[in-house]
This record gives sequence, structure tokens and C-alpha cells, in this order.
Amino acid sequence: MPRHIVRLVLIMVGFAVLAYGAKQFFTVDSFYQYGHYRGSSVADIASDKPKYKGTAYCASCHAPQLAEWSNGIHNRPDIGKVVRCEVCHSAGGERDVRGTFEHVSTGPDHPKNLKMVVPKDTRQLCTLCHERMTGRPLQQRQIVVAEHAGTQQCSVCHNPHSPRLNLVSAASTAQAGDAAAGKAKAAACAGCHGAEGVSVNAPGPTLAGQHAAYLHDALKAYIEGTRSDPMMNAGAQGLSDDDAANIAAYYAGVTCVSSLDAAKQATLQDKTTAPKCAACHGADGNSTNPSWPKLIGLSKAYLVNSLKAYKGGARKNGMMAGVVKDMSDADMDNVAAYYANATCK
Amino acid sequence: MQQNEQLENQPDEQLEKQQKERRDFLGCLGGAIACGAATVVASAASSAAVAATAGGAVPPIPNFDWSKHQWAFGVDAERCIGCLRCVEACKRENNVAPDAHHFRTWVERYVTLEGEEKARIDSQADPANIAASGTDGQYRFANRYKDAKVEKAFFVPKLCNHCTHPACVQVCPTGATYKTEDGAVLIDHTYCIGCQYCVQACPYGARFFNEEKGVTDKCTWCYHRITKGLQPACVEVCPVSARIFGDRNDKQSLISQFIQNHRVQVLRPETGNAPNVFYVGIDKDVS
Ligand code: HEC
Ligand code: HEC
Ligand code: HEC
Ligand code: HEC
Ligand code: HEC
Ligand code: HEC
Repeated sequence: MPRHIVRLVLIMVGFAVLAYGAKQFFTVDSFYQYGHYRGSSVADIASDKPKYKGTAYCASCHAPQLAEWSNGIHNRPDIGKVVRCEVCHSAGGERDVRGTFEHVSTGPDHPKNLKMVVPKDTRQLCTLCHERMTGRPLQQRQIVVAEHAGTQQCSVCHNPHSPRLNLVSAASTAQAGDAAAGKAKAAACAGCHGAEGVSVNAPGPTLAGQHAAYLHDALKAYIEGTRSDPMMNAGAQGLSDDDAANIAAYYAGVTCVSSLDAAKQATLQDKTTAPKCAACHGADGNSTNPSWPKLIGLSKAYLVNSLKAYKGGARKNGMMAGVVKDMSDADMDNVAAYYANATCK
Repeated sequence: MQQNEQLENQPDEQLEKQQKERRDFLGCLGGAIACGAATVVASAASSAAVAATAGGAVPPIPNFDWSKHQWAFGVDAERCIGCLRCVEACKRENNVAPDAHHFRTWVERYVTLEGEEKARIDSQADPANIAASGTDGQYRFANRYKDAKVEKAFFVPKLCNHCTHPACVQVCPTGATYKTEDGAVLIDHTYCIGCQYCVQACPYGARFFNEEKGVTDKCTWCYHRITKGLQPACVEVCPVSARIFGDRNDKQSLISQFIQNHRVQVLRPETGNAPNVFYVGIDKDVS
């Protein structure tokens, strides 16, 4: 065989050996360990850190929110419907290499420099699941946003951590009290709440014309200690649940006529947050829902005190807590002035 | 070398010499190729032997033995409300590019209008839906059929089917995608050369190209979560349990119960891929 051919063949053989050697050298050991792939890649992929941590993780630092949420409608594991913390607040674990997603993070830094989403625009958030939409199964509660909320944020009326509003309280389903029996018991209250429950410069608020269900709830709260006031604690001492129901029936039956000063109201309207309140307390403070108190007849001082009590946490109510959270002292003053105009004869 | 003997009878010596040389050369080349083939066969045999001996081996994942699990996924389209929280959670959990064109899981809306034969299909990547969410990093379905006469409509979550006979694994030239013992189809990003054969091969469109890394990408059933005893991120955030995940080896698991108690179906069974994502509540339009 001519030499140039032999050379060529030698070069080719050399190349083949080199190629084979290179393949052996560069193929990682774990290739073919479990099959035609790099075996160590399985453990590599499995070693990634989970970013969604679950509600148990948040529990260690956010017990109040968790407690509220756990008892709320968004935690229904029994029917397989649970809206977890991280659905609204985004992942609690480290975020990706690229940094944050643009829409993420409004608040200050979370532990480990992670910014949690604090959803300010609940109209965007809640409607993801609750806007009435073609194709959305009927068992999901849905609303037509414009009719239901107008232009308001959902969080004005709904507490995002426990959104269901309790329309029918236990008291209003309980049997109605006996107004005559109540009248007898109520004699002891006149000193502070005025004769017939119309308070004029007395320490206690006007009770006349208030919803019976609300009065019953309020009294029960004092009796059970969930609402507390040095003077009123004494007033509620010794009352039984039946007494409370009877007294509530009595005061509810006493007429209280609203006589809003329309002129004064008109001048205040733009400064007040009153439109926010109308959905629950009625346009003129005369609510029609038995569990939501009427605001008519209450003094300005009492209104301001109550709002401050909700904000400070001394009075606890999911709905009112949501309402007063963003109100300044000036806002409270204005809105109280607005409703305090409603007097009872 | 019989042929050479025949050729010796030819008169033209010059030509004869040339042809003999050519044949010698081809003969040598044939021999070299045979040698090469022999070594390749030998090496394949030896590596097959390695694979066979490694049959009982388990990848070193803490507290996890893949031979004890057989994962499967369920989708209950009757419960899906189209909130797209799964899509967003998947993106965060797996560092998927935050735009409206790359998804490991997605949700489709099927709407049949009165008088129309075919369903109209849109997903979160539809321009109208991007406009409704405001950015391509957030996802929401636009309420676009609010005033239309709709005959029927429903949402269907989609993801990689982690098939028992995955076409994508068959076509991969480098062994960069494979099926694990416990049933997940994974991609080894260090071995992927970005040829995208697998993207073409998948009948479900579950794979996409990650331009940033130059590799293909797809759902892993959150392999890093399920091997730690967690649920995949999309299942974790689903507010209505429309997504179900679990181990078919455990007869009490949610997925075993789901398959037992519903008439489940898979997408495109005719392709022979044998998917492991089981659907309830879809109709013929869905594939
Ligand atoms: C349905 C959505 C939703 C869910 C579920 C949810 N949150 Fe929130 N959360 C909100 C919204 C909306 C706000 C902002 C309220 C506001 O604007 O004042 C908020 C506020 C907060 C804040 C800020 C402080 C505060 O109370 O204003 C914390 C802390 C918090 N959430 C923790 C949690 C934890 C822990 C969970 C789970 C147990 C949870 N959230 C579940 C919607 C949600
Ligand atoms: C290690 C304790 C810890 C854990 C665990 C934790 N948080 Fe927090 N979180 C905090 C602290 C402390 C703050 C207040 C930080 C600040 O204001 O800068 C906070 C603030 C927040 C806020 C409000 C941020 C703001 O700007 O007002 C939200 C929302 C929140 N956390 C949600 C969550 C959720 C959801 C989880 C679970 C995935 C979680 N956190 C887990 C400690 C924790
Ligand atoms: C990720 C989806 C999701 C988000 C976001 C969400 N919800 Fe819900 N919501 C649900 C589910 C699921 C239920 C349970 C429905 C049921 O009981 O069938 C529910 C229940 C409710 C209910 C009780 C309905 C009833 O039965 O009376 C109210 C009210 C509500 N949500 C308000 C809100 C508000 C306000 C927000 C925004 C802060 C919000 N939701 C955000 C999914 C969601
Ligand atoms: C003005 C106060 C107010 C605002 C603002 C408001 N809601 Fe409501 N919402 C209510 C009241 C009161 C109810 C209960 C009465 C009823 O069933 O209609 C309710 C009930 C609901 C229910 C249960 C409906 C059902 O069919 O049982 C959902 C869901 C809901 N709201 C979601 C929202 C969402 C989402 C927003 C924000 C876009 C919102 N709400 C804003 C007052 C409000
Ligand atoms: C020593 C004076 C005093 C006496 C006596 C008294 N109250 Fe009160 N009451 C108050 C004060 C002060 C408040 C306001 C407390 C607060 O702001 O929480 C109040 C609040 C109330 C409220 C809640 C009103 C609301 O709008 O939330 C009710 C109901 C009530 N009293 C009923 C009674 C009844 C019934 C009696 C008689 C059995 C009674 N009170 C006796 C001082 C008194
Ligand atoms: C989502 C419904 C809702 C909205 C909106 C709302 N409230 Fe209330 N409000 C309630 C409920 C329910 C109570 C009773 C809480 C309790 O039992 O302590 C209440 C109680 C009150 C009280 C105490 C009444 C008393 O007799 O002690 C005052 C004062 C009050 N609200 C003022 C306001 C003002 C001012 C606004 C507007 C800025 C407002 N509320 C908006 C539901 C609402």
C-alpha cells in the first residue's frame, strides 16, 4: 500500500482513538447510572429550595393575622377551598435571581430582605376570584363589581383576612325580648343613658331607636367582657341574657326620629368619609341591617371615642377595624360632626 | 480480495494499478470502520452492563426513595375558577421569565358562543387578557364574554403530562431529558443543547425555549418540592382544589382517590404517549 494512503489511515485511526478517548473522558461518571442521562442531575434538580413556604411558616411571626384567617371563610379545608397567605402576599421564600417581579413589594423589607406584597388594590386582587365571569363555576361566590362595590376598594367593607360579613347575628335569630319587662329593668340605666334612652349630656350614648339585635349584642359583649368601659361595666353587672334581650326590645321600640341638618351636612360632605359608611350605616346614619348600629342620636364625643376605640383595638370588630385603619384623627372628627347632626326628639 | 483477481485480466495496467490501490484503500477503510464499530458496540455493551448493575441504585436525595413513589396529577376543570394564581405561583417558584410568553403551566378558557360550532380558546397570554391585567408579569382573564350569548364556557388548567412513553425523551439527541423512576420527566439543563427537537415532538405544547439560558424548559411537577414531601406550587396555591397531586402507590392519596371516584380522561390518548395528568370535566374541544 502506498505510503500516503497508510498515513491517511493512520491519521484516521488516530482520530478515532482520540474521539473515543475524548468521549470516555468527557462523559460524566453518572451518565448511564440510572439510564441514558446524567444521573447526578436528578439530585441537582431536587436540591432547589422551595419558595412557597405554606401558612405554617407565616404562623410563627404573624399569629394575629393567622388567627383571623383561620376562622374565616377563606380557610375551608373541609370543602377543599383554602386561600392561603401566599396567594395574596406572594411567596415567603427567597425570590429569584433576577430580583423581584415589578409588581411585587410595596412595604418595608421583610426578614431576609424579602419584600412581601401588601395588596393595596383589593379591587384587582379580590376580583381575580370573585368577579362574575362567563365560565366561572357557579359554586364560586361572584359579584358584579360595579353594582356591588361601585368604585370602592373591597377592603372598605370586607376584612381581607376574614371577608365574610355576618349579616344575621346570633341575637337577631334568638327570640325577641319582652319590651315591658325590659322597661322595668331599664330604670337603672336612665341616669347615664337619659330618660327613655335619649341621652342629653349624660355620660352614656343614646339608645333609643337603636336596632334591638345590635343592643343585645352590645350588652352581651359587656356581660361577657369582650367590650369594656369602666362606667358601663357597672351598668351591665348582674344582667342576664334574658334581661339583655328584654332591655334591647324596649329601647328599640322607643322612637328616635332622625332630623339631619341638611344645610350643615352639605358643607361637611366633601371633607368627610361619610360615603364610606353609608353602605352599612345607611345614608343618613339610619341603617336598615339589624346587626349594624344606627348612628343617629349619638353625640359627637361618643362617635369619636368609638372610632378611636376601634382603631386602637379596645373595641374589636372586623368590619369597623377595616374602616378606621386609614382614618386620621381629623377624618374622625369630620365624620363624627356629620353624624352628630342627627338628633332624636 | 476476489474482485482484484478478476480485475487482473484487464489490459490497461495503468488503470489496473489505480483501481487496485483504490480497492486496497477502501478495504482498509472498511476494516477501520469495522474496528470502530466493534469498539462502539463493546462500549455500548459495557455501559449497558453498567446501567444494568445500577438498577437498584437511588439518587442521593435526602429522605426520599424514588422507587417507592409513582406520581400523578389530577385536574378538576369543573372546579377551576380561572384566577390564574397557579400560573403566577409556578413562575415565582421556578424562576420562569416573568413575561406573557413563557409558561410551565397555563390555563385555557373554552367558550362556545350560540350558533358557533367550535370553541373560542384563549389563555392568559392573549393580548386582551394581558391588557386586562395591566402588565405581562401579572395574569388575569378579561371579562370579555360578559355581554355575549354564550352556550357553554369553562376553564382548563394545562401542564406537562409527564407521559409514560414520552416522545420528547425519545427524540433528545443528548440524553438531556429523561424519565425518572418515580414518573417525572425532567430536563438536565447542563446537557441540553437547545436543539428544540423535544419542543416539536411534544403533542401538548408543554415545552418552551428559554432564550436566556439557551435550553428548553417545562414543568417538573416541582420535583424539588415533591421530593421534600411538599405539594407542587400550583397545587399549593389553588384556592378551590382544582389541581390534585399525589402518589399512586398510596391508595389513600388524594390522586388515587380522585382517579378512583371520577371518570377521568387524558388528553390526546391516540398519540400513545400515555399521559399521567388526569382530567375531569372537559369535553371534545379540549386536546
Ligand atoms: C385574600 C387575600 C389575603 C390572604 C389570604 C391573606 N392576606 Fe394578609 N393582607 C391582605 C390584604 C389585602 C392586606 C392589606 C390590608 C390593608 O390594606 O390594610 C393584608 C395585610 C396583611 C399584613 C399587614 C398588616 C395588616 O394586618 O395590615 C400582614 C402581616 C398579613 N396580611 C399577613 C397575612 C398572613 C400571615 C396570612 C395567612 C394567614 C394572610 N395575610 C392572608 C390580603 C390577604
Ligand atoms: C421570621 C418571622 C416572620 C415570618 C416567618 C414571616 N413574617 Fe411577615 N413580617 C415579619 C416582620 C418582622 C414584619 C414587619 C417588617 C417590616 O415592617 O419591615 C413582617 C411584615 C409582613 C407584611 C407586611 C409588610 C408591610 O410592608 O407592611 C406582610 C404582608 C407579611 N409580613 C406577610 C408574611 C407572610 C405571608 C408570611 C408567610 C409566608 C410571613 N410574613 C412570614 C416577620 C415574619
Ligand atoms: C384566590 C382566589 C380568591 C381571592 C384572591 C379572594 N377570594 Fe374570597 N373566596 C375564595 C373562595 C374559594 C371562597 C370560598 C367560597 C365558598 O365558600 O364556596 C371565598 C369566599 C369569600 C367570601 C364569602 C362568600 C360567602 O360565602 O358568603 C367573601 C365575602 C370573600 N371571599 C371576599 C373576598 C375578598 C374581599 C377578597 C379580597 C381581599 C377575596 N375574597 C379574595 C377565593 C378567593
Ligand atoms: C360597601 C361595602 C362593600 C364593598 C365595597 C364590597 N362589599 Fe362585598 N359584600 C358587602 C356586603 C354587605 C355583603 C353581604 C350582603 C350580600 O350578600 O349581598 C357582601 C358580600 C360579598 C360576597 C358574597 C356574595 C355572595 O353571593 O354570597 C362577595 C364574594 C363579596 N362581597 C366580594 C366583594 C368584592 C370582591 C369586593 C371588591 C370589588 C367587595 N365585595 C366590595 C359589602 C361590600
Ligand atoms: C354609670 C353610667 C352607666 C350606666 C348606669 C349604664 N350605662 Fe350603658 N353605657 C355607659 C357608657 C359610658 C357607655 C359607652 C361605653 C363605650 O364607649 O364603650 C355605655 C354604653 C352602652 C351601650 C352600648 C351603646 C352602643 O351604641 O354601642 C349599651 C347597649 C348600654 N350602655 C346599655 C345600658 C343598659 C341597658 C344599662 C342599664 C341596665 C346601662 N347601659 C347602664 C354608661 C352607663
Ligand atoms: C362594612 C360595614 C360597615 C361600614 C362600611 C362602616 N361600619 Fe361602622 N359599624 C359596623 C358594624 C358591624 C358595627 C358594630 C360593631 C360592634 O358591634 O362593635 C359598627 C359600629 C360603628 C360605631 C359604633 C356605634 C355604637 O353605637 O357604638 C360607629 C361610631 C361607627 N360604626 C361609625 C362608622 C363610620 C363613621 C363609618 C364610615 C367611616 C363606618 N362606621 C363604616 C359596620 C360598618
